[in-house]
Amino acid sequence: MILSNTQKSFAAKSNSYFILLIFLIIPLTTNYCQLTTDNNFFSPYNRLKFGNYLYKDKDYLRAAKEFKEYLKVYSNDTVQFKFSNSFFKIGRFTEAADNFKGLFFSSTLSEEARLMFFESNFFQNDFNKFRNLADQDVYLSLKYRKEIERLKFTTYFFDIATLPAENIILEPFPDSVQSQIAKFYIQKKIPLHKNPTTAAILSTLLPGAGKIYTGEVGDGITALVTTALSAYLAYTNFNAGHQFRGWLFAGMTAFFYGGNIYGSAASAQIYNARIRFDFDKEVKFYFEQRNYFLPQIDL
Amino acid sequence: MFLLGSFCFAQTDWVKWESQQVSYELPAHQHHDYTIDKSGFGLSIISVARNAYYFFVSDLDGDNCAFLPSCSTFYIQAIKETSIFKGTLMFADRFTRDINFFKGLSHYPLLSTNKFLDPAYNYTLHSAKIKL
Repeated sequence: MILSNTQKSFAAKSNSYFILLIFLIIPLTTNYCQLTTDNNFFSPYNRLKFGNYLYKDKDYLRAAKEFKEYLKVYSNDTVQFKFSNSFFKIGRFTEAADNFKGLFFSSTLSEEARLMFFESNFFQNDFNKFRNLADQDVYLSLKYRKEIERLKFTTYFFDIATLPAENIILEPFPDSVQSQIAKFYIQKKIPLHKNPTTAAILSTLLPGAGKIYTGEVGDGITALVTTALSAYLAYTNFNAGHQFRGWLFAGMTAFFYGGNIYGSAASAQIYNARIRFDFDKEVKFYFEQRNYFLPQIDL
Repeated sequence: MFLLGSFCFAQTDWVKWESQQVSYELPAHQHHDYTIDKSGFGLSIISVARNAYYFFVSDLDGDNCAFLPSCSTFYIQAIKETSIFKGTLMFADRFTRDINFFKGLSHYPLLSTNKFLDPAYNYTLHSAKIKL
């Protein structure tokens, strides 16, 4: 194809315009990119971004540090919640509870913060304090009232406070688990303990009987055999006129007899401690498996 | 030069860099503590008796007590925790339990050393002191 001179000059002109346009656009876009990219790694925006990344990565300790820096500059309920929750996740429950308190009023996450505040207090294991807090209306959550009530009644299984009536404890729990909770209630109310005094009296009447009463059959039979054998040897030696050996075995009889009475009482106490330990373990496992009947809140 | 250096200092299979010398020797047997407790007259007497037992019986016979602490150590601990009278009763009970051939059926925690953990503080009749 043969182009005329006019067409040639038009093509050359449009090429030069195009190049000029490119040279005009490049600096503009570069400036724009520089404006949008924040080169300051420690800016609040980047801190929040990095904090969120760490939070998702379950690196809560470092996430809390980043959120704290962000919150020094800006106020944000979600970040405040995540900041408090980071402490909760790493088991620093006192700090978590204090920070959740900051979201109680005029916050969209007020209800969730209140629930988490109670959870943080629950895991501090000061159940008496927890029950006092749960009874104060100022802290209560309208949305999670039932959950907090359940948590409150759960505390009765973990300490030595006097249990309320069975129907009061069972009421906030779902019907499907009420039979199991009732079983725990009876175990807590009437534990299958052994009386140390009874064990000691039984061993006084018959050496080893107290130990058998506490379930230590082997120890009981051993105590009976050692006491009876040393008593028999003392008796035969006295009868044979061997005074020294007689007193030696008499002393041994007293040693085994007294030790067994004492040991039976101690054994009953250990038995009771084991019952309490097993019960606590079972209850804790049961509630932990069900997350204490609490909803999972994570933003 | 480079190749010479590489050949001279190359890691071989049989000489690992920064390798630790591993000793498979069993640790030396722990010897008894012969120190005399001077915190009380009764404890001093008992310590002397215990040392005599260590010297004449235990060191010769070997570490045969099925429990940890051993019966002699338990006795000293029991006296320290309570009194000489109560400690003696605790020891009498421990001694009877040690004689029991079927103590393995009881609830003692079994340690890696194949000994039953049975500390004195569990037998002081103070339920708060019991640790399972």
